[in-house]
Amino acid sequence: MKVVGARIPRYDGVAHVTGRTTYVDDVRVPGMLWAKALRSPHHHAAITKLDTRPAAELPGVHAVITWEDVPLLEYGHLSALGIPADEPLLAKDDVRYKGQPIALVAAESEELAAEAVERIEIEFEERPALLDVRQAFDPEAPKIHQWGNWYPHFEGGMDRRQIRKGDVAKAFEQADVIVQGVYRPAAIEHAPLETQVCLVVPEPNGRLTIYSCTQALYFSLGVVAAHLQVPLNKLKIVGGTTGGGFGGKVDTATETMTSLLAMKAGRPVKWRWTREEEFLCSSTRAPWHMEIADAVTKDGWILGRKMLTLHDSGAYARFSPYGLTKHSFHHTGAYTIPNLEFDGYVVFTNRVPTTAMRGFGVTSVSFAVETHMSRIADVLDLDPYEIRLRNANRIGDTSPNGIVYTDPSTVPTIQAIAEATGHELSAEFRTMTNEPRTGEWLPEHLVAQLGNPEEH
Amino acid sequence: MNIVVNGTAHAIESGPLTPLLDVLREELEITGPKAGCHQGGCGACTVLVDGEPRRSCLLPVAYADGAEITTVEGLGTPESLAPIQQAFVHHYAAQCGFCTSGMLLAAQAYLDGGGTDDPEAIQEALGGHVCRCTGYAKIVDAVAAAARGESFDLTQTAVGKYTTVTTGGAT
Repeated sequence: MKVVGARIPRYDGVAHVTGRTTYVDDVRVPGMLWAKALRSPHHHAAITKLDTRPAAELPGVHAVITWEDVPLLEYGHLSALGIPADEPLLAKDDVRYKGQPIALVAAESEELAAEAVERIEIEFEERPALLDVRQAFDPEAPKIHQWGNWYPHFEGGMDRRQIRKGDVAKAFEQADVIVQGVYRPAAIEHAPLETQVCLVVPEPNGRLTIYSCTQALYFSLGVVAAHLQVPLNKLKIVGGTTGGGFGGKVDTATETMTSLLAMKAGRPVKWRWTREEEFLCSSTRAPWHMEIADAVTKDGWILGRKMLTLHDSGAYARFSPYGLTKHSFHHTGAYTIPNLEFDGYVVFTNRVPTTAMRGFGVTSVSFAVETHMSRIADVLDLDPYEIRLRNANRIGDTSPNGIVYTDPSTVPTIQAIAEATGHELSAEFRTMTNEPRTGEWLPEHLVAQLGNPEEH
Repeated sequence: MNIVVNGTAHAIESGPLTPLLDVLREELEITGPKAGCHQGGCGACTVLVDGEPRRSCLLPVAYADGAEITTVEGLGTPESLAPIQQAFVHHYAAQCGFCTSGMLLAAQAYLDGGGTDDPEAIQEALGGHVCRCTGYAKIVDAVAAAARGESFDLTQTAVGKYTTVTTGGAT
């Protein structure tokens, strides 16, 4: 191997330490205008009046855009997969989260653009806001999204991501103990040091050059082209230099609106978010609500799991259905549970839309599963390492979505952790391997249920 | 007002209360100092003002009138890296790179003040600098190595050894 264990160069290392790396905000072009956004001050409201003329009349203002300027107003982040769109690029009749963009101004300076935004005349009629998934999931809750309060477009028109495996009812009948837990990790802001920023330059040949800090360049290309209704060859995106993203620069946040301003003004436009905008208006990692009930034997076998997940999507769907799908595949963690009943919902609230962040959809369930494993050990007064090894993935086991494991690493990993922390394992767990399960490594209940373990 | 940046004198046209950061980036187009928060919270805009590390986003340029400013561009060039820059390259102390120039200047001031390789003292010196990629251990390692006066064979980490583009097919 040439790379593993070798010291390899960072192609950008010397540029980083000499200040030569060009981030988007370091790019300057002649005649550049500056953008500022009018954003919703309310979590949820109807827009009853919007008049941008006072902004447009201000000297030094070169373009103002609202929803009326967007050729295709709604284009979803999963539209390419055939999923209907739910989020307007700029708010039209209503706003569904605080900070949602409504109109943008391009002017000679950032200060002037901000002054113009102040002049826009807008009125709202506030509506009740739902800021927690449990509130939003209540059938009696007010409807805050055109699709209802949760996403209805999973395969086959299902309103949830559902997994069924084995016979959960039988597992719960056979259990010695039912161990339950509720896990609620909160939203996390990505907080990259470089805030969202974009520069769009209209070229004489009619193309747009888009300098972007995106983590997903070709994805942004498709999103911008769709909203603008132009072919891909009209857009050139210059990217690849990102001052921190962590998932927060996967969604196309700035490129489309800045492109519309640049086209309308016929001038280059830069839009850079303030730190306040980054914290208050950008997407976050989702808050999650997870309920687990496990059917467990007194010696620590997990026979079955029932799980309900509510994934807080924020005001719009974006990538959340994808994140929940990954979540569902991982809902037994590094362990094999033969009987499963999982229901997961992508729930809409009046929070900022949530998105990818390092281990999208999986960190939440890993936190819940590992905490729950230790909780089971506590309830049964068993060794937390040994209960993990007992239920560990082994060769031939199957994941919740039916993938057969050919080289699972749970057993050697837990053993290595025990060794590193000086935790004494009993002989049977110290010498355990991830070879296929035999009768000795199946609880009696499962032998009865699954038949000959050699065929399992 | 006049300031000297990396040895070059500049007459300043911006108003006296303009943050030094904006003067450097917007008027002089010296873009090594970064605007991470514009409120003194992240350290990415740190420059040396007469040798002292300062948050340039909080410092009105009038307070730097007549001062000598050092930005990352003044530490060393790609052909002739300063020891602290070499240490950062060798220890992979820059990830996305956005915090790096501020980190480097705070570290340079620490070394100029006779700082040692004591990790706690280094952490204290860099305490107000945020690296959201969370590469703190590598940064502290790099500063400690520079404090010990270590020299590095950067041919090991120089672009080219493993990144040569060949047209004869993958190996």
